[in-house]
Amino acid sequence: MKFLRQMLTIAVKDLRSELRTKEALNASLSFALVILLLFSFAFDPTSDMTREISGGLLWLVFAFAGVLLLNRSFARELPNDCLDALIASPLPGAALLLGKVLANYVLLLGIECVCLPVFGIFYNVRWTLQPAWLALVLLLGTWGMTVVGTVFSALTVNMRLRELMLPMLVYPVLIPCLMASMRLTTLILAGQPVTGDELAWFKMLIAFDVIFTALAVTLIDTVLVG
Amino acid sequence: MNDAAARNFEYLAYGLIAVWVILVAYVLTLVSREGKIRAQIDVLRRMMEDHGKL
Amino acid sequence: MKQKILYALGVVAALLLTRNIWTMLTKLPDEAFQGAIFRIIFFHVPCAFTCFLCFFMTLIAAIAYLSTHNLKWDAFAVSATEVGLAFGAANLVTGMIWARIIWGIWWTWDWRLTSMLVCWLLYAGYLVLRDAIEEPTERARLAAVMSILSFSVVPFVFFSIKWFRTQHPQPVLYGGGKMDSAYRIMLYGNWVPILLFAVILIAIRMGQERRQRELDALRREIHAF
Repeated sequence: MKFLRQMLTIAVKDLRSELRTKEALNASLSFALVILLLFSFAFDPTSDMTREISGGLLWLVFAFAGVLLLNRSFARELPNDCLDALIASPLPGAALLLGKVLANYVLLLGIECVCLPVFGIFYNVRWTLQPAWLALVLLLGTWGMTVVGTVFSALTVNMRLRELMLPMLVYPVLIPCLMASMRLTTLILAGQPVTGDELAWFKMLIAFDVIFTALAVTLIDTVLVG
Repeated sequence: MNDAAARNFEYLAYGLIAVWVILVAYVLTLVSREGKIRAQIDVLRRMMEDHGKL
Repeated sequence: MKQKILYALGVVAALLLTRNIWTMLTKLPDEAFQGAIFRIIFFHVPCAFTCFLCFFMTLIAAIAYLSTHNLKWDAFAVSATEVGLAFGAANLVTGMIWARIIWGIWWTWDWRLTSMLVCWLLYAGYLVLRDAIEEPTERARLAAVMSILSFSVVPFVFFSIKWFRTQHPQPVLYGGGKMDSAYRIMLYGNWVPILLFAVILIAIRMGQERRQRELDALRREIHAF
């Protein structure tokens, strides 16, 4: 119970701090919309082929926008030695990590919810066909992205080229999660039922989320303190 | 040997050469690292001599 | 003493390799459909085995470093990763050359090649991470965490790309059917000299790391005066 409270305290702190200034949120959202726009130039947005890559496109946008947000996660604590204060506090590393993951999760889900209607409008995709399945994929896929991204944010927090290093390190590790999400989203947006073979992607997403959450929680103390 | 077979062997040769080139390239990075280590040793030796003279 | 062992291993590896190449080119019969280019598999697959063995060694070294805080394990980790990347690159390039002959295009998005590319990029990121951190203990610690995360994602990468690609059928690099026993003997047989080369390279690289650390310690001592 105490752990949960600690985790929520950190999550609420991060969310409040972000929502007050909204700098990362605005940057991330604008970036997502610009990318959606750029993609429309890369190929014909109205053709049928777009339907086949719709899931991939969407998750690419989420991945790029998400990394912007995740960079801020631990970097926000650097001025005024806040990070040192957090590490020195009686807060367990796992609570700190999960609190930040939760905050990033909520923010990223918010961005995704804004991007979906825009995507639907720009690319003429009917995304409301199977809302429950879509929500499930978004929830699972975003968790995978946030957990891995936050751990790497902690890892790269003290580096000079943090903004470059984080995307470069995070994307290869996220490939299974992104691949599963893309595949499932393409199916769901096309209105096809998710059955049989395709359910295996869900199982993979869940396995990825569980394993990387466990790894992150185990390794966070090593990353922050040593 | 007809054309296709000749091309086949040619590419086999390229493949084997590629493996060697990559490994040799790595060995060259090791050699350059060796050179840098030697240079550092020289600098340190000179520094120690200067200290010794003082 | 160690130098002599390394030289001896080098000679053994060179002899084995020469014998293998001679056997490959003269004794083994041509494969029915693929012709001469098939022989490249005797380097392509052992390089992949060696690459993944090296990455596994990096994982072991990472866990050992985090348990013992002995920088020798960190030296082993970086050496194993560099050598693993070199052999991984050899695997990728030989795969591409094979694909060029068999399918006419350099890159086929075959699941094995794609997975190897992702793993290669993953561990190349490991090296870039190391370059970005200057303090040796911090570098060893963060690199160890990175290698644990990287190796954990490798099985996911392989499974997910395999499913992804089998849903959109792609040219299969190795062709169906079992391999002739003579081929299989040669395949595993050629792994031995390649593995020996990997061991030699790792040993040399580790020696260089050790000397670099001694130099850094010496430099600190001198500057202390």
